[in-house]
Amino acid sequence: MFSVKQLKPTFKSYLPQTDVKKNINPPIKKLEAKLLPGEIVVNEVNFVRKCIAAEKSHDDLWGKLICTNFKVSFVTHDALTKPRFQVAHRLLGEHDIPLTCLEQVVTVNDVKGKKKVLGCNQKLKFNPSELILYCKDFRIVRFSFDEAGPEGAKKVCLAIAHYSHPADPQLLFGFEYIGVRYYGSPEERVNGARPKGGLQTPLFDCSSDWDREIKRTNAEEWRVCSINQDYAVSPSLPEFFVVPASLADQDLKQYAVSFADQRIPVWCWNHSNGSALIRMANITDPFQLKKLDQRICNAIVKSHPQRSEAHKFDLDKSLPSIQDIQNSLVKIRQICVIDPFEESEEKWLSSVENSQWLDYVRTFLKHSCEVVYLLEGMNASVILQEEEDRDLNCVVSSLVQIMLDPHFRTLSGFQSLVQKEWVMAGHRFLDRCNHLKKNAKEESPLFLLFLDCVWQLMNQYPSAFEFTETYLAVLSDSMWIPVFSTFLFNCPKHHADTMTGFLEDKNITLGEGEALCFPPVWEWSQQLFIKDQTLFNNPIYVGKGARNVHNGTVKSFRRTKVSHKSYSSTLRGTPPALMRNGLQGGQGTLPRRNSLAAQLKSDLFQLRDVEESPSERFFRDWFSGPADPQGLLLPQLLPSHLPLWRLYFLRWVPEACIPRGGPITAYHKFSQLADEIDVLQNQLRHYKGPTPANTPLASPTGPPSEPSRMYFKASSLYEPSSTPEFLSSSFPFTPVGNLCRPNLHGTPISKFLNGAKIWLSTESLANETL
Amino acid sequence: MEKSGSTDSLDTKRFSSRPASVDSLSSTSTSRSDRSGQARPPASMSSDSVPTSADLSPELKIPKECKEEPELLPGEAVQDLAREVTYICPFLGPLRGTLTVTNYRLFFSCMDREPTFVLDLPLAVVSRVEKIGGASSRGDVSYGLVCKDMRNLRFAHKQPEDALKKSVFEVLMKFAFPVSNGLPIFAFEYGQVFPENGWKVYDALAEYKRQGIPNESWRVSKANDHYELCDTYPSSLAVPVNIPDEDIRRVAAFRAKGRIPVLSWIHPESQATVTRCSQPMVGVNGKRSKEDEKYLQAVMDANAQSHKLFIFDARPSVNAAANKTKGGGYESEDAYQNAELVFLDIHNIHVMRESLRKLKEVVYPNIEEPHWLSNLEATHWLEHIKLILAGALRIADKVESGKTSVVVHCSDGWDRTAQLTSLSMLMLDGFYRTTQGFQVLLEKEWLSFGHRFQLRIGHGDRNHTDADRSPVFVQFIDCVWQMTRQFPAAFEFNEYFLVTILDHLYSCLFGTFLCNSEQQRGKEELSKRTMSLWSFINSQLEDFSNPLYLNYSDHVLFPVVSLRHLELWVGYYVRWNPRMRPQEPVHQRYKELLARRAELQRRVEELQREVTNRSASSSSERAGSPTRSITPVQTFV
Repeated sequence: MFSVKQLKPTFKSYLPQTDVKKNINPPIKKLEAKLLPGEIVVNEVNFVRKCIAAEKSHDDLWGKLICTNFKVSFVTHDALTKPRFQVAHRLLGEHDIPLTCLEQVVTVNDVKGKKKVLGCNQKLKFNPSELILYCKDFRIVRFSFDEAGPEGAKKVCLAIAHYSHPADPQLLFGFEYIGVRYYGSPEERVNGARPKGGLQTPLFDCSSDWDREIKRTNAEEWRVCSINQDYAVSPSLPEFFVVPASLADQDLKQYAVSFADQRIPVWCWNHSNGSALIRMANITDPFQLKKLDQRICNAIVKSHPQRSEAHKFDLDKSLPSIQDIQNSLVKIRQICVIDPFEESEEKWLSSVENSQWLDYVRTFLKHSCEVVYLLEGMNASVILQEEEDRDLNCVVSSLVQIMLDPHFRTLSGFQSLVQKEWVMAGHRFLDRCNHLKKNAKEESPLFLLFLDCVWQLMNQYPSAFEFTETYLAVLSDSMWIPVFSTFLFNCPKHHADTMTGFLEDKNITLGEGEALCFPPVWEWSQQLFIKDQTLFNNPIYVGKGARNVHNGTVKSFRRTKVSHKSYSSTLRGTPPALMRNGLQGGQGTLPRRNSLAAQLKSDLFQLRDVEESPSERFFRDWFSGPADPQGLLLPQLLPSHLPLWRLYFLRWVPEACIPRGGPITAYHKFSQLADEIDVLQNQLRHYKGPTPANTPLASPTGPPSEPSRMYFKASSLYEPSSTPEFLSSSFPFTPVGNLCRPNLHGTPISKFLNGAKIWLSTESLANETL
Repeated sequence: MEKSGSTDSLDTKRFSSRPASVDSLSSTSTSRSDRSGQARPPASMSSDSVPTSADLSPELKIPKECKEEPELLPGEAVQDLAREVTYICPFLGPLRGTLTVTNYRLFFSCMDREPTFVLDLPLAVVSRVEKIGGASSRGDVSYGLVCKDMRNLRFAHKQPEDALKKSVFEVLMKFAFPVSNGLPIFAFEYGQVFPENGWKVYDALAEYKRQGIPNESWRVSKANDHYELCDTYPSSLAVPVNIPDEDIRRVAAFRAKGRIPVLSWIHPESQATVTRCSQPMVGVNGKRSKEDEKYLQAVMDANAQSHKLFIFDARPSVNAAANKTKGGGYESEDAYQNAELVFLDIHNIHVMRESLRKLKEVVYPNIEEPHWLSNLEATHWLEHIKLILAGALRIADKVESGKTSVVVHCSDGWDRTAQLTSLSMLMLDGFYRTTQGFQVLLEKEWLSFGHRFQLRIGHGDRNHTDADRSPVFVQFIDCVWQMTRQFPAAFEFNEYFLVTILDHLYSCLFGTFLCNSEQQRGKEELSKRTMSLWSFINSQLEDFSNPLYLNYSDHVLFPVVSLRHLELWVGYYVRWNPRMRPQEPVHQRYKELLARRAELQRRVEELQREVTNRSASSSSERAGSPTRSITPVQTFV
């Protein structure tokens, strides 16, 4: 029966065919960079190979490497071999990297075994065979010059290094971009020098935005103050801010002198119970300290309807410094993308712990919870104090507001929050992003840390946010595109001064009512098509009033009853949780086996000091009830509940990419269902027209003329009952070609064969090394 | 009101919201626990819980009487009751209340608290009871209970004045370890009737048939009909067609415990197979068996796509070699032409037991905050999970991408082998990812192929130090859970289903996990004398279903086996920690949206009918002006 056997294929035939043709015939067709208004080509070199995989070159792409005043561009006629999916970016091509996104430019000469990190105005003594670009968004892109002209390659590398270190903010591409728009044709001018308004997100650059916020939060005892018009008082506060109604402008001006940077206390937000959140800088004048403190406190107490006492939080004392946070990011970047996958796998958990990133995330969330407790539980106003009021305060004040106010969990609310507590409050985006690469000491990923904290809340309460984690990731990437007003300046005055300087330098006179301004990042159509922006929409968001739809019978949130100590506070004294854990740690030294008695004894011992503080009681009560997605949200702070934000940190890592898996597959299913519901609702609206008798039958397929809110549609081209091929845990980002670590011999395949290790490969990959 | 009756429960109410479940089953499950009728759930597994679930299900307005005593299951009887017992809760402090012991459960209730505190657990989860005399100054006697489900309990009570009277804990010990005390396991007394009969879920021949067996290369052998070939194997075995039963007997002599290579799964297209067995009895002298070699050649030949055979030895190579001194060992590549041997480095049952013990120390009662991740790493639990999943992934990859047949074994082929074959089959075959299919997978690869549940769990046995105990099955379920995390839409069942299986792995309420082999189960007549866990589950499938399930049936899942994606199963291991709160149940939200869709569909259909009727009745009136009725009306308000 088995005598006649088919000829079996040899193992060789399983190996993927190496594409020889590509290696021999690089395309000669003309390749052109796609340029934006104001963008110019600085240098370019042809016959460059973009590396796609670390080990083999047959997937590599051939094309031209171009350095412009905006980006590093790679143009190619080759398509990636694997069918892939990408959300098209309107400012950047598939292989483009903005110069501001470059962290490090490294040139390598394989033969000579040389390597050099290129800075501004540097010389290169060897002809590079490879260029490796380390990016701030965690990508690593590698180009090979083995077929390119050596001089041309060198020039492009030097140009990239030079142009990624602008000497002056005005040299950032955004200025060319809007400048040219100003000079350009009338249609183009619309966006560059455009009349204000038309944007949903309030920017808080005018007093009316603050007024509306005062009214929205019912902050009756607070007023908009305009003493800082033209930045007359403080160089880093916005022109308009909100202060206690009882303080006169004259007093404020007088007080301002004693504060760092003249940053007097300003109002952030009001709780419905009347307590307010205030932020301020340190008082620098030691002689005024006590008196001023008293006056400020009195004024804040006066603005509270119940005259509740005001609590002050000194964030410098209890939170990590900006350098700590930057060091932490460097470490987590190292293990996530720079170290070879297998190597960091060995001690993954402890390396993550060592980076302290998650620790910092927890610390900021925890502090924010304590502020929330005072505002909500104690009905007390809170003053956040930080030396300059421009870093830690931004994180804590915005987290507190997100937890307390569902408005800030909507898309436009969240954007207005960033505008209010970061951009207008004078967070030094230019320095913290280190766009000019001048002072690495000033660089710190506070905004990313904040986004991670928001993600943690979102991860714990998936239906409480109108937006998605994709939104957060795209927002963080936008920091590295230098055309948005949001991330280019250190404060509003810096913004204004730079613009004035720019206009003077360029001899531009603006007409009446005209302003030359950068688009804020919130103009998402700058970056994405409307359809792709739907990736920001959370299909399971429970919006305002959504519960009424269910006639109150269906509760959206259910929660296990949790007892005692849902949360521990460090407001006063030693946190009981720590004491408990300290004791538990002590147990670790006891003999383990048959030491039940000992362990139980210490269990008993632990119980003695279980005294519940009011804040603990507050948190316990909150955790024991069902959470309302439109109400207060408190994060669970157990370290086991604060995981790494995988989409952000691992999206470029091919080895960590789950094909047709990951949370996106659930998002896909949810979106389809939400879309079906939208279609049905549209149909209902058609029926319920003002003249129902005349309403014709709507076709069952639905004529929804409204664009769908959802990225994945119910009745789409693909089968509704399967997960599309292009979905992966990295979606909508793609690791292909975006994380090409320098070649390291011996990893990861040889390691994989030493034992049962991870691998992504299929049979062919495993065979390759047999 | 909303919160009454619940705040202080230590843990989640079993049938109310589960901690951690992504799909916390809250209201549906609550209503289930109050759903009378045949499908009454074994309220059994309730851990520390509050007796009322009224606050969790809005439809239940009557706050259930907070009972001092448990509601008994059919067949359950109170054995002893003691008042003034103190439960020393690691989270709430000492609680004074009443302790009831039945032939099935331990039930402690403290009525003094508001809300009432209840602890309710099957005695079978207790692995060890220890008397700790004079632990407290007041002359109380203290008892510590170590449980199999990741927690420890401690009680204290006054020394009974009547010295002759047995302490309630002595009664407890008697019923917690019925096997050691010559008592029946509760599953034999449990008298619940379910509408579904779970014993019918698995039929070996039907499952072979589903896979297309017998075919031209594989047949179902009767050689083990009366377990004479191998007493730990099932009676029907799928073997290569051209190996006669006499040869099979000779192969059995060469394989440890007679566990010959038999087919577990066959690829529907390539005919590449997964076969399982025990180690060959090679010994120090490198013994060979012509029949065994011929047999594996036949396994290889049955797959025309490949001229190679991969033998996956689950063990680390050192351990495999060490087995030679005990007569075992591994296939030499000289003896087995075209076979390639791969060691998967998975450690033995003792290492796994130790790892879980360490894990318990890290998660119970509290998590130490600053060093959580390194403490977790030091338990190596996730590393073991990773190695098992990696092994299964390599097997699945060989079969699917390499179209090559594989043979899987460890030493005896009932622990690591079961983990590997069942996990790779779960990756390869979408049927096993359905609720029904998963039950078949367990019945087949674990129960019928003789994973020694009785020994590994130690049902009713007081000998807690037994070296045969090991969390091999827990590990497998953990691996399944890891896969459900990576592919949230690929499994028909939810997390609660997996937790329920693990709870009843210990509870001894159902016969499913009793005994060590198919033969023993037959002898004990489990299918007649006990209920199957699947009877319970299949009688209320809704509670165990994953609403996000998409039929991926013909799609092979390749999970990413990296610590970057593996995580501790908080919803199972950390569930006793009261600070542990479930994630917001997205599944619940999905069900709400489904209900909303249904409601809208209904209204649209209603309107459609109405409009149809109206247009029919008014068509005569409007006959004169037909244009009006076709004017589309835009009604976006």
